[in-house]
Amino acid sequence: MASSEGRRIPGRAKVADAVLVMLLVVASVASLVLVSRASAGEKGSLAIIEVNGKEVKRVALGDGQKTRTVTVRGVNGPSTIEFGRGRVRMLESRCRDRICVRRGWIDSRGDTIVCLPNRVVIRVTGKRGTGGGGLVDSVTE
Amino acid sequence: MRGTRHVTNLALLVSTGLVLSIIETMFPPLLPVPGAKLGLANIATVIALYSFGPGMALEVTLLRSLVGGVLRGSVIGLFLSFSGGLVSTLVMIAFVEPFDDGFSILGVSVAGAVTHNTVQLLAAYLLVRHAALFYYAPYLVLVAIPTGLFVGLASRRVTLSLEGLPLQSR
Repeated sequence: MASSEGRRIPGRAKVADAVLVMLLVVASVASLVLVSRASAGEKGSLAIIEVNGKEVKRVALGDGQKTRTVTVRGVNGPSTIEFGRGRVRMLESRCRDRICVRRGWIDSRGDTIVCLPNRVVIRVTGKRGTGGGGLVDSVTE
Repeated sequence: MRGTRHVTNLALLVSTGLVLSIIETMFPPLLPVPGAKLGLANIATVIALYSFGPGMALEVTLLRSLVGGVLRGSVIGLFLSFSGGLVSTLVMIAFVEPFDDGFSILGVSVAGAVTHNTVQLLAAYLLVRHAALFYYAPYLVLVAIPTGLFVGLASRRVTLSLEGLPLQSR
């Protein structure tokens, strides 16, 4: 009975498990450090808003500016974006889990807010054409 | 072989997975990152893998994401969970098979969780076509480690309890 086809008895944790976990932790922490070094937390001055992979709007995040909002039409409905004082956030969006709204304000180059259901991406970059710290931005510009 | 018992077991595991994914939606998202999920439904797959074998694990995963996607009525959700589920199950099978003495159920489940999140990110990339999504990859991997361990522990508990039950027809 015990040896029915394909049946396995789950045993105790093994060394390989710990090695796997360690490798994953090291790899992801290392890449986090690399990415944050690359963008060096520089404040962005421009936010690019994309819907379905196409740029629909650019807004300047001037420091002295009052906060304003802009609404773009996503796949499921409107997404309202608030920007100004050097930062930008998703204020309101037509999506289920509202991950994009919970993300809060972003202000550094390379920061992004992605609303997957509504296909809206907000991306902070530096000045036009400078491509930030050599991240993916320069490719898409 | 593919008797009533098989169908019943399959139905039980698929509905366990479905209920777990419904329970999961009651929790707030772990991180403000697309794809960061608890992956509770994976418990059903891991149980299937250990109590019945790779074939059952695949059947459970595919049926669960199919039925779940239809129930939720979201084509995107179906695409994401189908791709993530299929690849992560294949990876778990690959981890369990040749290294029989290598990884325990915990390592297998972590591997599954990491793959699931990573594949969801890739699938999300196909939808949004934005390379910036990959900034999220390290976070997704980090989230998958504790969730994978939890899924592994839960599945081990259940699998051990199922031991000795006449799950298969002879």
